[in-house]
Amino acid sequence: MKKTAKRATSKKSVKQHVIIGNCIAAVSAADTLRQLNPEDKIVILGDEAVPSYSRCLITYYLGGMVTKRHLLSHAEKWYAERNIDLQLATRAVGVDSKNHIVYASRNGRKKKISYDKLLVASGSSPIFLNSFPYDPDGIIGMRSYADSCQLRGWARKGKKAIIIGAGFVGLKTAYGLVKKGVKVKVVELLPTVLGRMTDMEASARVRERMTRHELLDIELQNSVIGTRKHGKKYVVMYQNGSEEEADFIVASVGVKANTGFLEGTGVEVDRIVSVDDYQRTTVDDIYAAGDVCRSRHIVTKEWIYNAIWPVAVAQGRIAACNMSGQQRTYEGNIPMNSVDFYEMWITAIGDVQTEGADIEEVSYESHSIYQKVKLQNGVPITFMAVGNVDGAGIVRGAIVGQTPWKEFVKKPQTQILPVVNQLSGLLAKAV
Amino acid sequence: MKAFVFRSDKCDVCRECEVACAAICSKSANESARYAPFIKVYNSPQGPFLRLCKHCEDTPCVDACIGESLHRGPNGIIIQDEKRCIGCFMCNMVCPHGAIKTVMSMEKAFKCTLICGEEDDPPCVAVCNRDALFFDDFINTVKRRRNKKIRGLIRR
Repeated sequence: MKKTAKRATSKKSVKQHVIIGNCIAAVSAADTLRQLNPEDKIVILGDEAVPSYSRCLITYYLGGMVTKRHLLSHAEKWYAERNIDLQLATRAVGVDSKNHIVYASRNGRKKKISYDKLLVASGSSPIFLNSFPYDPDGIIGMRSYADSCQLRGWARKGKKAIIIGAGFVGLKTAYGLVKKGVKVKVVELLPTVLGRMTDMEASARVRERMTRHELLDIELQNSVIGTRKHGKKYVVMYQNGSEEEADFIVASVGVKANTGFLEGTGVEVDRIVSVDDYQRTTVDDIYAAGDVCRSRHIVTKEWIYNAIWPVAVAQGRIAACNMSGQQRTYEGNIPMNSVDFYEMWITAIGDVQTEGADIEEVSYESHSIYQKVKLQNGVPITFMAVGNVDGAGIVRGAIVGQTPWKEFVKKPQTQILPVVNQLSGLLAKAV
Repeated sequence: MKAFVFRSDKCDVCRECEVACAAICSKSANESARYAPFIKVYNSPQGPFLRLCKHCEDTPCVDACIGESLHRGPNGIIIQDEKRCIGCFMCNMVCPHGAIKTVMSMEKAFKCTLICGEEDDPPCVAVCNRDALFFDDFINTVKRRRNKKIRGLIRR
């Protein structure tokens, strides 16, 4: 019996799948690869010192809303159960696509890892500009567990922080720091908070709710033109000529894909990795998933950069299926996000700031609830809800399914949405 | 794969399913049980409708859960680790059935995880005497409907 089993395995050549990166796209891919290929070798190269964690939770960890145990839930045991070779603190530095080799370095020592199929899921890192360059002593981004730990160390009562950028990460970091008793000032170039996910009215409501806390201040339409060190503190110079002193600065103006190690491989990189519907890059046997690559807009079918968690999960899964020889395509998703600040929820689906002559608006406004749907040719394209977000997925279904609004409002389940039935707005549980 | 199937034409909004769900949940020690029922029947001018997790085959809520709280259990039911829910309501944003119960005061989202533990005959289905609610394989439901139609034609 044993002999036949051995022969069977040796006949079927064992493949080595290498995954660069160790966040959700990589984990989702590794899980799927293991389910489809129980025999193959799977190697994960993670550049961080800890096993995979939910990157979206680092701001919650900063504010003490989740525990370390919850955050680092994918312990080494998870990898061992699936027989995945996890190599931590290992950074990929180059890829030889002709000979199928990944060059990596661990604590300065170089490593060569050969692959049959390679998945690039290296994610993204925060952008720093010349006016606020990276400084390990006081100017950092918010992207990893290490960043979160560092900020936790700095966040003491009575300290002052300046956050550049009022996007999702910026505001969530501010929220976390305020919970720790740090005085926070958020500076944003755009006239709205949360980037393009809110309009003026929603932005004003979010800002009002957040700045109700005495430690938090949000300044819009102002930018940072320079920073300088002043003793142990940092001085930030603003566009309008004023200056402000802070103990540390968090940059959250955006992210860039980590594609440096792909140079010279022939993989097409246009700031982000170009992939096709099968998550293949332009080079054979190299796939990409997650924040490092583009994805389709599910309605318009355009290629967009949609760096959100559900996309990374799906892309990792689809890439793993194709790496195992199953042909599967990813249809894409729409830009969307959901977040809460001081028990006020904001859900935004699609690009809420879309303007145009053919755009109609349907909205519901009350003291505590604000909902708005934008229609293009009678079909909903965006939805935004502040205060009461119950049933937001029903509208997302209509946006993705291209259901005309007139038909949509006739469906019984839409009656729970204040934007459809004004009466339910009165009955809805408000903030 | 089992799923809940609702027939709005049969339902007369007696809400006995809600009562049954709440009665069973109240015996559970889970935190979510306090926010039962997870089945909710609404009446609207367009007819009754149901908000209940249907335990879909492709799971947008599981994909979207950033706290890794929702996951598919061994028997195909989508279950929740309540302690891990951080209340981001990403699941609510992607659920096309509006089945997620968003509890703002708790900053958590709850859903039917079949905490009654009755996979063969959940109490909400057992109590429904109008044949409006089923929990079965989707294919079986389609077959049952077709058979009924054929029987009706023969009788005629």
